[in-house]
Amino acid sequence: MQDLVFILVTIGFFALAIAYVRGCDRLKSGERK
Amino acid sequence: MTANGWLQIFVFLLVIFLLTKPLGVFITRVFDRKRTFLDPVLRPIERLLYKLTGVNETHEMRWTEYAFAMLCFSVIPMLVLYAMERLQQWLPWNPQKLGAVATDLAFNTAASFTTNTNWQAYTPEVTMSYFTQMAGLAYHNFTSAATGIALAVAVIRGIARREQETIGNFWVDVMRTLLWILLPVCLVISMIFVSQGMIQNLKPYVTTEMVDSQTVQTTGTDGKTTTQVVKEQVIPQGPVASQEAIKIFGTNGGGFFYANSAHPYENPTPLTNFLQVLLIFAIPAGLTYTLGRMTGSQKHGWAVWGAMAALFVAGVVGAYAAEARGNPLLHGVDQKASAQQSGGNMEGKETRFGIADSALFATVTTDASCGAVNSMHDSFTPLGGMIPLVNIMLGEVVFGGVGSGLYGMIVFVILAVFIAGLMVGRTPEYLGKKIEAYDVKMAMLSVLIFPLVILVFTAVSVVSSKFGTPSISNPGPHGLSQILYAYTSGTGNNGSAFGGFNGNTLWYNTTIGFATLFGRFFAVIPILAIAGSLARKKFVPESAGTFPVTTPLFSSLLVSVVLIVSALTFFPALSLGAILEHLLMHAGKVF
Repeated sequence: MQDLVFILVTIGFFALAIAYVRGCDRLKSGERK
Repeated sequence: MTANGWLQIFVFLLVIFLLTKPLGVFITRVFDRKRTFLDPVLRPIERLLYKLTGVNETHEMRWTEYAFAMLCFSVIPMLVLYAMERLQQWLPWNPQKLGAVATDLAFNTAASFTTNTNWQAYTPEVTMSYFTQMAGLAYHNFTSAATGIALAVAVIRGIARREQETIGNFWVDVMRTLLWILLPVCLVISMIFVSQGMIQNLKPYVTTEMVDSQTVQTTGTDGKTTTQVVKEQVIPQGPVASQEAIKIFGTNGGGFFYANSAHPYENPTPLTNFLQVLLIFAIPAGLTYTLGRMTGSQKHGWAVWGAMAALFVAGVVGAYAAEARGNPLLHGVDQKASAQQSGGNMEGKETRFGIADSALFATVTTDASCGAVNSMHDSFTPLGGMIPLVNIMLGEVVFGGVGSGLYGMIVFVILAVFIAGLMVGRTPEYLGKKIEAYDVKMAMLSVLIFPLVILVFTAVSVVSSKFGTPSISNPGPHGLSQILYAYTSGTGNNGSAFGGFNGNTLWYNTTIGFATLFGRFFAVIPILAIAGSLARKKFVPESAGTFPVTTPLFSSLLVSVVLIVSALTFFPALSLGAILEHLLMHAGKVF
């Protein structure tokens, strides 16, 4: 059970990091407009 | 302080200076895909590996694609390492029959090694099998270092390119780092280490009879004290030399043994000690030359090198002076250096290395994001121990980790030219690129994640008597320093331990694990965004109003920005920790 929790939080962190990449990119696109 | 000590520090800096250009030229040739003497052997291997993995080496990536590739390259091996630790009892090369690593510790270690931190909340020789060390931890030692160098090169390309959308190919950059830089050098270094007496085997641990038996008293959980005479000692073995080379050259720092580079098998001679400090700074110093070469402004590369060198000298002088002075509360004890003894504060230090080499190692390992230690920083005097802590708090930009030191310093460069621009009321420029609002926003996001993670986790830990303070071994300001150091080391991806602190609890394993992840990825993503933004910009020719980034004035401004940003952020925490402890020590109170 604990294994599953740690695997899920790891995947969750990297999903958040991908969202962060998109967020930083969108901020630039927003400024261009 | 002795002339011998100063001479060793001077020779060290001189050799780093002499290595900077040749290493920088070689790194530039590797990433510009120009011919090197290793090409006849490595180019066919590189082509074969691209064929097997389906990588198109001519494909160029936008910064977002580069970042996605970097994240994928990190998450999957991190999960594999986690599984390896949990299943090691069924895997080969485990002669000591070591069991599965606990879940929270396995998460912490997987996160730590994926991010080039190598924080170790465990004793390696009784926790990790040879297989886990070689196939799991050593894999990450190579790939996390390669990732850092690839990211730095991508950022340099972003600065150098004009009106382009792309900053390189992540897979190619990582592959070339591994094949041309890390693997060949580590192979040679491992051999030198073996020649100096470092072990390299897969033998079971050796049990030997002690020359002098020891009487040990232990108190059980029932409060009963038992006396035992110990006549035998178990001496751990393992493939140490091969791990040691990348531990140092890749600024990883995770030791094969708990004592790290204070262990005679990990650092057997004065020559290996000197080589280790040298190898920690080698790539980071070379990358400053690469910055100058690739951007066409060699003087700028040297200006950045000069700023880093100035911060290094300040750190090592401070640490050496504090430790050589000794402990003022040891009245009647001879602490003067002589032919018979190193003098000064020798607690927690190897007599083989003495004060100068311990202070030099502590400074170098925390200037870079290495984290290997040859002395215990917890045993330093309050101010001597504060130097390694401050070095990490500066963002490890004093030469820094492989790659991470340079891209971290570039953020400060952008802030420095921004501040210079504000002073004269002009749009700031950096090597022909206008620095605009987006670039400064990204720079601030990268800088702010660091204190946010450190100070929030430290604050929560110091007020919790349930899961926070039971891990410290000393009360008062020293205890605060222990917790502050742990989160600073984790977030800064350094990995060195202050010592005297039990990080192997559910709270610390989980939160320090997250601190390493946030410190690595949430700091570098905005920097890649800056690289992408700079690559797209038009070149603006230098004018009379351009602030030059090639002069000693620029180096001074850069040093000031690094110090001010860090000092303003962490000074209150340092005041309550190391500085207060120093003042109380002189008033006769210790912790």
